[in-house]
Amino acid sequence: MNERPVKLACRHVWKIYGPHPERLLAGGKSPTSDQIRAADHVGAVRDVSLEVGEGEIFVIMGLSGSGKSTLVRCLSRLIEPTGGELLYDGEDLLKASPARMIEIRRHRMGMVFQHFALLPHLTVLENVAFPLEVQGMDREKREARAREVTQLVGLQAREGMYPRQLSGGQQQRVGIARSLAVEPDLWFLDEPFSALDPLIRREMQEEFLRIQRQLKKTIVFITHDFDEAIRLADRIAIMKDGAVVQVATPEELVLNPADDYVTAFTAHVPRAKVVTLGRVAAPGVPDVVAGMLPATARIEAVAEQIVTANAPFAVERDGAVIGHVTPAAVIAILIGKRE
Amino acid sequence: MKTGYPMALAALIFSAGTALAEVESTDPIKLTLHDWTGQLITTNIMAAILEEAGYNVELVQADYLAQFPGIESGDLHVAMELWATTAADVMNASIATGNTVSFGETGMQAKEEWWYPIYMKELCPGLPDWKALNDCAELFATPETAPKGRYLGGPVTWGGFDEERIAALGLNYEVIHAGTDAAMFAELESAYQRKDPILLWIYAPHWAPIKYEGEWIEFPAYTPECYTDPAAGENPAAAYDCGKPTGGIFKAGWAGLEGKWPGAAKAIKAFQLTNEEMGAMVGKVDVDGMSIDEVVDEWMTANEAKWTTWIE
Amino acid sequence: MTLWRGIWAALALLSLGLAIFATVPAGWLWPPEAVQVPFAAWLTAGMKWLTESAAIGPVSVKDLTRGFATLIEAPYDLARVLLVDGITEGKGRRATTIIPPLSWVAVTVAAVALGHFARDIKLGLLAGALMIYLAVFGQWDSAMITLASIVIAVPLGVAGGMAMGIAAWRWKAVERALSPILDLMQTIPTFAFLVPILVLFGFGPVAALLATIIYAMPPMVRVTVVALRAVPSEIVDFANMAGCTPWQRMRKVMLPVALPDLMVGVNQVIMLSLNMVIIASMIGAGGLGADVLESLRRLNIGGGIEAGLAITALAVVLDRLGQAMSERVARAEVRTGNWWKRHPRTTLVLIVALVTGALGFLVPALQDWPKAWEITTKPFWSNLIEHININYFDQLEAMRVWFLENLLLPVKRFFLALPWPLMLALLALAGWRLGGWRLAALTLVLSGFVAATGLWEQAMITVYLCGVSVVIAMVLGVPLGIWAASSDGAGKVIGTVVDTLQTLPSFVYLIPVVMLFRVGDFSALIAVVLFAIVPAVKYTAHGLRSVPAELIEAGVVSGCTRWQMLWKVRLPMAVPMILLGLNQTILLALSMLVITALVGTRDLGQEVYAALATADVGRGLVAGLAVAAIAIIADRLIGAAAAGARARLEGAT
Repeated sequence: MNERPVKLACRHVWKIYGPHPERLLAGGKSPTSDQIRAADHVGAVRDVSLEVGEGEIFVIMGLSGSGKSTLVRCLSRLIEPTGGELLYDGEDLLKASPARMIEIRRHRMGMVFQHFALLPHLTVLENVAFPLEVQGMDREKREARAREVTQLVGLQAREGMYPRQLSGGQQQRVGIARSLAVEPDLWFLDEPFSALDPLIRREMQEEFLRIQRQLKKTIVFITHDFDEAIRLADRIAIMKDGAVVQVATPEELVLNPADDYVTAFTAHVPRAKVVTLGRVAAPGVPDVVAGMLPATARIEAVAEQIVTANAPFAVERDGAVIGHVTPAAVIAILIGKRE
Repeated sequence: MKTGYPMALAALIFSAGTALAEVESTDPIKLTLHDWTGQLITTNIMAAILEEAGYNVELVQADYLAQFPGIESGDLHVAMELWATTAADVMNASIATGNTVSFGETGMQAKEEWWYPIYMKELCPGLPDWKALNDCAELFATPETAPKGRYLGGPVTWGGFDEERIAALGLNYEVIHAGTDAAMFAELESAYQRKDPILLWIYAPHWAPIKYEGEWIEFPAYTPECYTDPAAGENPAAAYDCGKPTGGIFKAGWAGLEGKWPGAAKAIKAFQLTNEEMGAMVGKVDVDGMSIDEVVDEWMTANEAKWTTWIE
Repeated sequence: MTLWRGIWAALALLSLGLAIFATVPAGWLWPPEAVQVPFAAWLTAGMKWLTESAAIGPVSVKDLTRGFATLIEAPYDLARVLLVDGITEGKGRRATTIIPPLSWVAVTVAAVALGHFARDIKLGLLAGALMIYLAVFGQWDSAMITLASIVIAVPLGVAGGMAMGIAAWRWKAVERALSPILDLMQTIPTFAFLVPILVLFGFGPVAALLATIIYAMPPMVRVTVVALRAVPSEIVDFANMAGCTPWQRMRKVMLPVALPDLMVGVNQVIMLSLNMVIIASMIGAGGLGADVLESLRRLNIGGGIEAGLAITALAVVLDRLGQAMSERVARAEVRTGNWWKRHPRTTLVLIVALVTGALGFLVPALQDWPKAWEITTKPFWSNLIEHININYFDQLEAMRVWFLENLLLPVKRFFLALPWPLMLALLALAGWRLGGWRLAALTLVLSGFVAATGLWEQAMITVYLCGVSVVIAMVLGVPLGIWAASSDGAGKVIGTVVDTLQTLPSFVYLIPVVMLFRVGDFSALIAVVLFAIVPAVKYTAHGLRSVPAELIEAGVVSGCTRWQMLWKVRLPMAVPMILLGLNQTILLALSMLVITALVGTRDLGQEVYAALATADVGRGLVAGLAVAAIAIIADRLIGAAAAGARARLEGAT
């Protein structure tokens, strides 16, 4: 599934807290969580290896304390990992000098924060322009660019307001606009919608997808909400106790959970939400078809169409017909029948 | 800045008449100010005289005893009132370093002694003789000191050997030390308002003996031996069996002053005041409420003949 | 628990018994010579070395400090020119004014404009009214001298404190090194470091300015560290992700975000600078402080009170302006046009300054407030005190004697009769119980230091005087705090009184107190209580007010009466805050020691004061350090107790 070129990769990344974390990893050791605990240390991120493809929405999902926030901060090197390798476009970030890191962050990374992290003393426009100001861009240019992104998130009418005068949703739009102002390739979102009310959260997710369709960034998205993860993700990494339990597409996660922990998350998820036509398509194509549907379409989206038609649909992937799907197969998924 | 021109112009005209006379150096001569009126008057008069002679003068607030390191290092230049009764040791030690020199006496005499308000004489007719003190001990007593009489001494730092004096003369009194002279005079004021008994340490020249009517206790006269030799004085077995010494009030300053401002040094050495002059001026300030500047101006006008000879 | 209670009771009985009945051998009563260490001589020698021979490379330390003094002198001179002297030709009595200082009209208008800028016209008018108050009561010239030193001392104190705070925030090692230094700076009586400052920085206003800065800076350092720590970690992360350099991160993100908290520190610096006004005037600062001292030296009680209230007025103006600035809502109004259109207030003040300055040559009333318009309350105050003195002295005297005989003297005797090893052991035991072996070690080392200085007797008198004062301050202050918290009206009145007490220099009431209560411990006690009661009231009221509303509701629902609510809900919840108040009360009481020395106490304060009078650097510093040691012991023990109380409360809810 991962045919995209790799944008960001991490290999065997560790973050251990305690008085002498490096000792635990000395000589290429790979301690278990019990060993770490026995040494009075805390293993916040344990031996994580991931690859994020270009233009991919990669979601890291975990409950609080699972280490997902620490991991995203290791990936952006806001936290110095205890060990491992971190490659961004092939460059090892952990070997980058502070000056080089500043350079990379100024131009090629953006981040959105759970509690918005807006600067209270600046207006909306000034907040959005802040990363550009830091680069030393002159006022006129940076404000013009800030206006563009502010418009992108639909806040052009509130440019002169201060953060405290905005609602939570609006504040996070400012946060999003700000993180996009420098046109980064790599976009980190650390639980961006967790602090919002459910209705607003929905709306913001739509908005996020809309922006992503337009901009096609490489995204690392952190969430504790599994529904949000399957809605947005191309792929999901599930974390538990600092380690990654499984990395897969939403569909694979639901259909083939790696262990009981993942099962616990996926059990209640309506399959129709994640299963794609490609998965249920039967080989061969009957003579009479009601039409052609893409293999990547999720059942939920096309179920009504298929069930109410009087003939099966053909399924195509990348222009080639790979099989067909019958109403019976769709209904089986809809009612949750196990294979 | 348009308004600046006429002002600057005006200033030029005004200042034309006050151009400085030729002096050895226009660096400011720093005179120290302390915290009692007499010293402020003395120092301001000296400053006025030096300014008349064309010198630049700066007045610096400095502690009476803490000023010596400053004088030795040349930060400060002149101290106008160093009382032999309180500063002799420190002054002599400073002169011994070679960085401080004496500019001679001011002509004023310091007196420090036990003192009582005049109304006490009716209640204790034997006063001012010290031998009457024991008969009136109960009169001067307060609940904490009873049956001993209460004598309000100066701050501990003033020394004064009052405990020793009491023991040597067999006085039935206890010393209560005031923390500052302000506290001491506050008690006096309070007692005086109520015509209550009080016995305390007073020094002169000072406004208190001018404002309040009273008398000094007459102890056996001071001799240097009385303080050092038990055999001398009233009590053959103890020292300090006599009154407090009186002494001159000295001027002193930085050793480099004479080299840098010879004329100023001459004027400072020549400076003289009498106890009467000073007493009157202190009274005008502290009792009548005149400002120090007014009193100094008055003195400068009245004594022009005198001070002009000091600076020629 | 019962075991510990038993042990404490036994110890208390033992010490009481020892104090009353036993004749303790001399070496046990006070530390014998053998255990004493000549700290004073060492410090004096060290200071001598520092000023005479110490050098960094070719530059001697003294030149360095003198250079620093010159550096500070320049802005101070500028402030003096603006507010006090103007530009003159010649010096001293021959000086003629070329350009006058800012007129009273200009300064008043500036105060109004600042108030309007910071909040609204109401604040502006308050600031203006207080400035006119200064003029009306004839305090203008002195107030401007004081203001000139405050406007220099405060920015320097704030900048220095912020720099140290940032360093402490950035590097753990700096914080560890700074922490004890700050403790000392805050607890050593100011007098103790006046002489070293004079020697290092020369005589005159600059030394006074530096003393003020040293005294006022520590809270700024602490506030800065706390404020920077309080910046949300996400904001720090954001700054890093935006690619800020460390300098950009500090200047553009951390400091602006922390600004409201930092302003609390600025306020503290202002208040403490004003607290120093009197002491600074002793080493040459002049101004209102000098007026207070001079008035009192002449027993001009009214003059002292007027100058003292002028300090309070200045404090109120600066405090309110500072508060308003910190809460100032950045207004979105964007002004366009010329410079003067964008800065209407500044323009107005400049015009007023120039016009009144120019017209002042013709109409002197515009430049200087005319003497004829001045009012004085001096006779009123003198007559008031005289009236009380003549008519009520016997009652006051009876009260004083009662207190002395029944409270002060027994406690004093007890402390003086307590053998020093027992005292050390008791302190160490208390430290161990409250905070473990570390605290026990700290209290033991510090109390051992006091014993080794040879100032044990003075230290015990200090403990006795402060102890009794603190008890009385708490006994009076806590109920006042409860009352202030229970009704808004009472809260306002009590708040005003307490604020005035905090800023009114204690010298002002010291002399009337001596007139009514004589020289001695009782007068000292009154002065200390008046000053130290402030935190007792404030913290109690604050603690009661900040009990969570939910708990109050729970109390109401359970059917608590008013008294039950107070006793069973509010007071227990407020205990940690009240303990903090107790802590502050103790620190303030200790800081008053040197002042009480002025009315004849024989404690460590007297030792410090005596050292100042004889320019004995070592002696003053040692006594100062002994006071600091007592303060730190008290602070840590109560701090540990408060932490324990808070932990119990949090465990319970």
